[in-house]
Amino acid sequence: MSAGTYIRRPNRALQVYAVIFLIVLYVPVLFIPLFSFNDAVHVRFPLKGFTLQWYTELWSRQALWNSLWNSVRVGLVVSVLSTVLGVMAARSITRYRMRGKGPLVGFIMMPLVIPGIIFGVALLVLLSRMGVPLSLYTVGLGHLIICMPFAVATLLPRFEGFDPAMEEASADLGENGWWTFWRVTFPMVMPGIVASLLLTFTISFDEFIMAFFLTGTDPTLPMYIWGQLRFPKEFPSVLAMASLILFISFVLVFIAQWVGRMGLDTEDLGVPDT
Amino acid sequence: MDVLDQLGAVRERKLSRRRFAKGLLAAGVAMTTMPLPARRAMAAEGDQATYFTWGGYDIPELFKPYQAKNGALPNFAIFGGSEEALTKMRGGFVVDVSHPCNQSMPRWVQTGLFQPIDTSRVSNWGDVIPELVDLPGNDAEGGKVWMAPFDWGQTSVTYRTDLFELEGEETWDMLWDARYAGQLGSLASGGDAWWCGAIKAGVDFDDIDSEEAFEKIAAVMREQRPLIRVYTDDTTTLEQALAAGEMVASMTWNSSAVLLQAEGVPVKFAKPKEGALTWVCGVMIHKDAPNLDRAYDVIDSLLSVETGHFMINDWGYGHSNRKSFDAFDEETLAGLGLSTQPVEILQAGHFQQPQTQEWETRMNELFEQIKAGF
Amino acid sequence: MAETSLSKSRTARGAPRAFGARLTRYLRRSETARGYLLMSPTLLIMTIGIVVPFIILLVISMWTRQGFSFDTTLTLANYARAWNEPIYGALLARSFWISGVATVATVALCYPMAYYVAFHVHRNKMMWLILMTLPFWTSYLLRVFAWKVILGYEGVINSGLSAVGLIDAPLAFLLYSPSAVIITLAHAWAAFAILPLYVSLEKIDKSLLEAATDLGDGPVARFLRITLPLSMPGIIAASFLIFIPTTGDYITPALLGGPDGAMIGNLIQVQFGAVNNWPMGATLSIVLMLWIAALALAFLLVTCKVQERIA
Repeated sequence: MSAGTYIRRPNRALQVYAVIFLIVLYVPVLFIPLFSFNDAVHVRFPLKGFTLQWYTELWSRQALWNSLWNSVRVGLVVSVLSTVLGVMAARSITRYRMRGKGPLVGFIMMPLVIPGIIFGVALLVLLSRMGVPLSLYTVGLGHLIICMPFAVATLLPRFEGFDPAMEEASADLGENGWWTFWRVTFPMVMPGIVASLLLTFTISFDEFIMAFFLTGTDPTLPMYIWGQLRFPKEFPSVLAMASLILFISFVLVFIAQWVGRMGLDTEDLGVPDT
Repeated sequence: MDVLDQLGAVRERKLSRRRFAKGLLAAGVAMTTMPLPARRAMAAEGDQATYFTWGGYDIPELFKPYQAKNGALPNFAIFGGSEEALTKMRGGFVVDVSHPCNQSMPRWVQTGLFQPIDTSRVSNWGDVIPELVDLPGNDAEGGKVWMAPFDWGQTSVTYRTDLFELEGEETWDMLWDARYAGQLGSLASGGDAWWCGAIKAGVDFDDIDSEEAFEKIAAVMREQRPLIRVYTDDTTTLEQALAAGEMVASMTWNSSAVLLQAEGVPVKFAKPKEGALTWVCGVMIHKDAPNLDRAYDVIDSLLSVETGHFMINDWGYGHSNRKSFDAFDEETLAGLGLSTQPVEILQAGHFQQPQTQEWETRMNELFEQIKAGF
Repeated sequence: MAETSLSKSRTARGAPRAFGARLTRYLRRSETARGYLLMSPTLLIMTIGIVVPFIILLVISMWTRQGFSFDTTLTLANYARAWNEPIYGALLARSFWISGVATVATVALCYPMAYYVAFHVHRNKMMWLILMTLPFWTSYLLRVFAWKVILGYEGVINSGLSAVGLIDAPLAFLLYSPSAVIITLAHAWAAFAILPLYVSLEKIDKSLLEAATDLGDGPVARFLRITLPLSMPGIIAASFLIFIPTTGDYITPALLGGPDGAMIGNLIQVQFGAVNNWPMGATLSIVLMLWIAALALAFLLVTCKVQERIA
């Protein structure tokens, strides 16, 4: 559709605002890589000099790599589990006319409207009453709970926009249930699934508040960083690691853009394709 | 519900579905494969002992003998305070070795979560300073001990010699000096601050659990609160603030002053006329320690001369191994606030005394309230 | 699909055939049952993760601490303390105040940005959205820490101002104050405001705006009569998504708040740490939750009323 003429007119003031907004948004984040190249233990101005020391030191920080690996493992498991459970929930919500659907969705979304500290505390109390030792599994359970709403919220619109006639057609052609799901439903909801995987992985990877209460021997990366905040000597290599993660995620998003662009140059992003 | 609707609606309706899918897929694949190289050198770490300790003690420098023997570092679990550690272990968290301080040891023992140390299995035991072993509560049946002492030091005032105008002797009053309101710092945990408050208030540690002591100490802490810029156990914050001149004096441990001096910041670790607070920390073995042999390796490594050198030289802490002090001359040690006769230092300070759980809870609760301004 | 394979497995498992057949028939008939069956794993996990912990939390909040263990007689003593002792109410009020200001600031600052992308960006909208959310891929802790570097005594702002010659001595009040917490929260949660705002603005039918212009509305009147009311759902969503999690935050106040910036989250956290009074911590958690629920309801009612009046 064509937007109105006057709306097309650029708004100078808003443009300036947008630029300032982005600067303010990015500057604090960019201090992390800036200080990771600074030749001083303490994070403060003025900068001392350029060094790659913290990056080389990174290789010998076994504990740092361990915690990164812990976070990745928890993130992967949580993202896969929450997405699978989210698919089941989204499918049952959209496919069947169920009684009590509204409250049910509300129930799944509850973690969104409860501060993380309360969940952390509640799970800690439960686990310790049951005598379950704290470990990466307990962290994973906590993350699973807070990731569920995001998974369902990402997947629901996908399933809602999905035409059941396709499935019926497949069933009419004699395909069984799982085959239909795999061949017809799954490809159509794929983007939602990928989005959900990414979103939940990111949430779990960065989560601190619940992990604080639920971590056992193996710290996740945010827990490790928290520990290192007290110890200046170790901190620059944490900054170096954070810069690497930052860089990799920036590159990934851009690669994603680039890959997405291939062969699709004719399509305009701004236009709804329904 | 609108919230949900909105969140879900960050949907791809406004961009090409295919393009979005491709992009996300690419990102997804890259995201999940990217960090895998980080797995290097992580084999068989499960067999190592787990050392549950204060953040900052999880460094290879303390475990050279352990590493030489076992080919890897122990696993570390980190706590920010010993109460937090005990809470976690009471919640079912099992480790091999943990790191409490003398004043909480009897309470730790009471929980029944620990086993006495068989000193015959610790090769460095013969060199341990006996005064450090002989602490209240540290005696079990058959000459065994519950806590093997490891590090000791003092809590005192680190101040900027150029910015803090000293009136007379060094004293705890420096942290109550209204001239420097908003430029003073304090450790946040009651385990340090409350005891220092007791010294300032003139409360004898023997009477620290009396009603009167609570009132007196609370009064001085309340008096100090408006002068304090920040309460934190994050030593980096205190050190940076002292280095920047944001604070002119702060309650710290030895290591802060040593680190700042090494950086050329004009600071001094005060010897208050009322006496500093002295603490001894050590290691205890969990009763269900899954790697008992390696647990003893951890202890042996911590008590080794090699580790002791590092502790004294880099952190300015005392070490429990007598021989660790031999490599340093009197002058160096004096500069660090230590001595070739460590016992003298120990005896000159105020030793924290073990208290009941009730006392700990009451003190911490009250101190939290005071810090929050009530 | 799923139901066919399911009925097969039921009968194959050798359960009493008649029962299996009846179950299959029931499942075929009742959509609700089939729906719940498919959803059951999700519901099970959420029940284990939400309902059970909350029941325990509620029970423990009525216990009392006794040395290392709990006195399990049910009592409301903790609630009485939470009500009577001024510290709890004061910290709760301060948390709501800090979160409230941060929420209003975030939504107000992000609204023009979302508006700009929704109405004035025509190419690469996705690029803009990614650009605005990219900073949130970095660790929350490190972003908070970065603000410490900016607001600090020798931080960016202070060294910048003194380099320009505007100040002689660094401004100490920037760090360790409630305002430091507010600034950091507003920055850290911006993505949670932009996305819902953008979606609700994007949804607005542009022809409504055309119509308003045709009827002689100026830009301001047009904004107030059409854009603002129609983007209200986004504003409400953004407010909830920021206000609720931030009230329970304890990292930002712990790192940047100083003695006067402590929030209720810090108090809850110490109950499970140094103070070691789990029942009191549970009580405070529940009190916080009830207050949030009450405030959220009040907020919804007010916005509904306002919206009705506008419409």
